[in-house]
Amino acid sequence: MVATTVDIFTSLWSIFSTLGVLVGVVVMAYMVYLIVRNRAKPEGPEPEDAPKPGELPREQKGAKKLLISVILSASIVLTLISLTFIALDNLDRPPAGAMEVKVIAFQWGWKFIYPNGYESIGELRIPRGTPVKLYVTSQDVFHNMGIISLRLKVDAIPGKTNIAWTRVYETGVYDIRCFELCGDGHGVMIGKLVVMDPEEFNSWYSSLQVS
Amino acid sequence: MDSHQLPPSYSIKRWLLTTNHKDVGILYLVTSLYFLILGGVLALIFRLQLAQPGLNILSPPAFNQAVTIHGLVMVLFVVSPLAFALANYVVPLQIGARDLAFPRLNALSYWLYLFGGLLVMISFFQDRTLDVGWTLYQPLTSVFSPYVGVNTGGLGLALLTASVTVSTVNFVVTIFRSRAKGLRLTALPMFTVGVLLTVLMMLYAFPALLAGIILLASDRILGTVYFTSPQGGAILWDHIFWFFGHPEVYIVLFPALGVFGDILVTFSRRPLFARRIIIAAMVVVATLSFLVWGHHMFLTGMHPDVRRAFTVTTIAISLPFDAIILSFIYTLAKARIELKTPMLFVLGSIAIFIIGGITGVFLGSIALDYVLRGTYFVVAHFHYTMAGGALVGLIAGVYYWYPKMTGRMFSEKLGRIHFILTMIGFNTLYFPFFLSWEMPRRVPIYVESLVPLQQIATVGGFIFGASFLVMFWNLLYSLRYGEPAGSNPWGAHTLEWMTESPPPPHNFDGTPTFVDGKLSFIAANGAAHGEPETHLSRWPFMLSLASFLALLGLTTHLLVSVVGVGLLAFSVLGLAGERFISREEDLGERWPFERVDRMKLAWWTFISSEVVLFGVILSAYVYVRTASSTWPAPGTLLDIGHGAVNTFILLTSSLTVVLALASSRMGSRTCTAGFLAATLGLGILFLFNKYNEWSELFSHGITFSSGLPASTFFLTTGIHGAHVFAGLLALGYLFARALKGAYVGKGHETLEYFGYYWHFVDIVWVFIFPLFYLV
Ligand code: HEM
Ligand SMILES: [Cu+2]
Repeated sequence: MVATTVDIFTSLWSIFSTLGVLVGVVVMAYMVYLIVRNRAKPEGPEPEDAPKPGELPREQKGAKKLLISVILSASIVLTLISLTFIALDNLDRPPAGAMEVKVIAFQWGWKFIYPNGYESIGELRIPRGTPVKLYVTSQDVFHNMGIISLRLKVDAIPGKTNIAWTRVYETGVYDIRCFELCGDGHGVMIGKLVVMDPEEFNSWYSSLQVS
Repeated sequence: MDSHQLPPSYSIKRWLLTTNHKDVGILYLVTSLYFLILGGVLALIFRLQLAQPGLNILSPPAFNQAVTIHGLVMVLFVVSPLAFALANYVVPLQIGARDLAFPRLNALSYWLYLFGGLLVMISFFQDRTLDVGWTLYQPLTSVFSPYVGVNTGGLGLALLTASVTVSTVNFVVTIFRSRAKGLRLTALPMFTVGVLLTVLMMLYAFPALLAGIILLASDRILGTVYFTSPQGGAILWDHIFWFFGHPEVYIVLFPALGVFGDILVTFSRRPLFARRIIIAAMVVVATLSFLVWGHHMFLTGMHPDVRRAFTVTTIAISLPFDAIILSFIYTLAKARIELKTPMLFVLGSIAIFIIGGITGVFLGSIALDYVLRGTYFVVAHFHYTMAGGALVGLIAGVYYWYPKMTGRMFSEKLGRIHFILTMIGFNTLYFPFFLSWEMPRRVPIYVESLVPLQQIATVGGFIFGASFLVMFWNLLYSLRYGEPAGSNPWGAHTLEWMTESPPPPHNFDGTPTFVDGKLSFIAANGAAHGEPETHLSRWPFMLSLASFLALLGLTTHLLVSVVGVGLLAFSVLGLAGERFISREEDLGERWPFERVDRMKLAWWTFISSEVVLFGVILSAYVYVRTASSTWPAPGTLLDIGHGAVNTFILLTSSLTVVLALASSRMGSRTCTAGFLAATLGLGILFLFNKYNEWSELFSHGITFSSGLPASTFFLTTGIHGAHVFAGLLALGYLFARALKGAYVGKGHETLEYFGYYWHFVDIVWVFIFPLFYLV
């Protein structure tokens, strides 16, 4: 099977979250360790270089230690960024042979226009396994079309068409929601993506009456 | 009225009229905490709504209003003003100044802030306040939310930007010109460093917000089509808003970073680790912050290369942050850490901020942001940075400087309880948001599977809310019953602790100086020479009240505006004519502005922010023009003749201003007054010609709403014309005084300052003319 948007996201996400948690835990553990170890004991002496009242600020030297730490984090971040760019290339390149659907967002719902000109509101049907390319725009305000369980999201902007694609290997029904505040009905601007068995889809699609 | 002495602190007069930085600081503190309660209660109400998927505590419109006002109030009316509260109180003390450079302007900032907040609050009771999210996206705000309250709220924001601009200029001049001798910029306490960089970012970020609000207001009220036409629209707003919005998030954060620095040193009994690198890193962040705004627009379909560039800058900005946070942590090595309340809050806040920063890197990765944008993950990220990093960090500062402000210690035990509740409440509230990353933000309903997470969050919200009650109780109770604090209860080394708590009105007995590397006081001579300084003025309050009325009338009853404008004129004259004595410290460290006196520096600072204002307005024009496939050829829509004549008039008037200044230097009263009159005449001629040009257009049926070419022309030249008009008002005043011989011999600086403004307005026209008439 070819990679889907879900696969691309999931693999990147697992790397980021592993490293993120790791870095977070290490840094915080170190911080807690320092605090516990260096908690003032009432009888403890002041450090030699303790700042004295009325003094100009001094600093602890540490350019080298800091440089090493920053190089370390820079290398982590650079790795992450290159992985991001690779993933991005895949996301930007929809597979060939996609079914092309036009999506028009409006206050508050979704309109879909199929290649044969058929229009429907609220529900988009696609065949399983076939890549789908969405041309998304809006007829009124700024919306954002998100099918979060497919890890797919794209801004719907009046006067502009944005492209997104996906390919689903499992039949089922997926929620389409708006992810940009768009007015009173924002919370209920919900549509359905129905992924059908290819044969069922074909018989449905060819039965459509297009005016 | 004896305006040299402050009335006692129980007198209302004192608080209405005071210009003393410490009083103004207290006013800011109380007001920002009040707004904190307001924003917090709103949040608790919508947390209740979210306790169950199907609840109907708030209708969808009410929910949107609550969310929007919560966001705006917290970001603009709580966190930054709280930082200004501390900055007002502490910065002059830390640098050894007697007050800010312009005490009356300081009071003015406060009152503008308060009245801006009042406008936002009034909008609540009108037909719908802002309900479009704090990011005010377009075209939702420009046309699809046609409610009166949205206008009032927007005008409140405009007043706030005025307040911010005024304080910015004031702090820049103060920190550059009023430092104690020997206090080099790199030797400033960290808090002052944080504030300085904050105001510098504000100086160039807030004019962009102001420009955005102006365009938006003009779309809503006059009918221009910046955001309603697809060539401008959503994307134009995104650029303008986030050009402001991203620096704004660091603006919110930087004062807290400064607080971290000072408190860490005091309670770990060590100098800061790599202090100069921290400062350098902060400078880098402040600069880069203007180059990352695109990461809020990754999904808008921007060009892949642009997207890539913004990813790189975004990720790059995380590295100096690394250096800053790690240096803070390394400071703790070999330290002797006293875990008093302020230190606990700093450590907790840093820990929380680390989580916020790491998740920021997630969002900077476009491929992840594709999925996370617009979800609770973003909500979690910015609460970890803004609420946890910035707000909690500033709370640490409130505890730290409370003994200085009041002369009393708070209860350490209650402080610790507050800290524990904060950490528990905060994380219970916001951590579940990370896990709710499949849920869209700003929705009143959600799916069943998220019920547990959302309910935990709601419980956390109430704990977090309650924790503040402990703080309020502690601070109020200790005001009366706390142990006396003495001047330096924490054993800190910075200058604010080297005077009584609370400090006397003039801050220090004697003039602090660091000439031989450590603090000493030169016997008081500052107060000895000349008249005593003034500490009271009624005009800041009056001026703000007047602006408030003038704006309020626009959305209620025009009569109110008329009263407001009248009062405004009266107050401006009152302010200008008042005898207000505030002397500059005569022994001061002023690098790099030794030779630029404080008024001049103030003017240059202000004008540099105006450059951004016009820069944004002109960029908006260039933007929509490049996005439009057709545009009227030169000479078809606009008559080049009008433009050319006006160019000639304005350039000539620049010359006459120069001549007026030269005459005043040479001591000729008649010539000064004459050239000022000539300038005045030319300015009037300019506006007259403009008026003719506009009426011709109107008579051909071309109005604000006749497409982008007309909209951009009217708006840009309108704003420029308003600047000319303001200049003419000032000119009228200068002319009247010049007739009486005011600027001959001495006082010709005033003409010089006016000249800067006038030349600037002319230069703007030199850009407008070719851009609109010729190409
Ligand atoms: C390491 C540093 C940081 C990075 C890399 C970073 C990155 C990001 C990115 C990429 C977004 C856009 C997310 C989206 O809407 O899709 C974002 C949103 C946001 N960030 Fe950060 N951030 C950082 C630090 C901060 C700090 C320090 C603050 C505030 C003190 C902050 C406040 C915010 C806010 C308020 C938003 C959301 C704005 C909105 O849409 O309402 N961030 N951040
Ligand atoms: Cu940002």
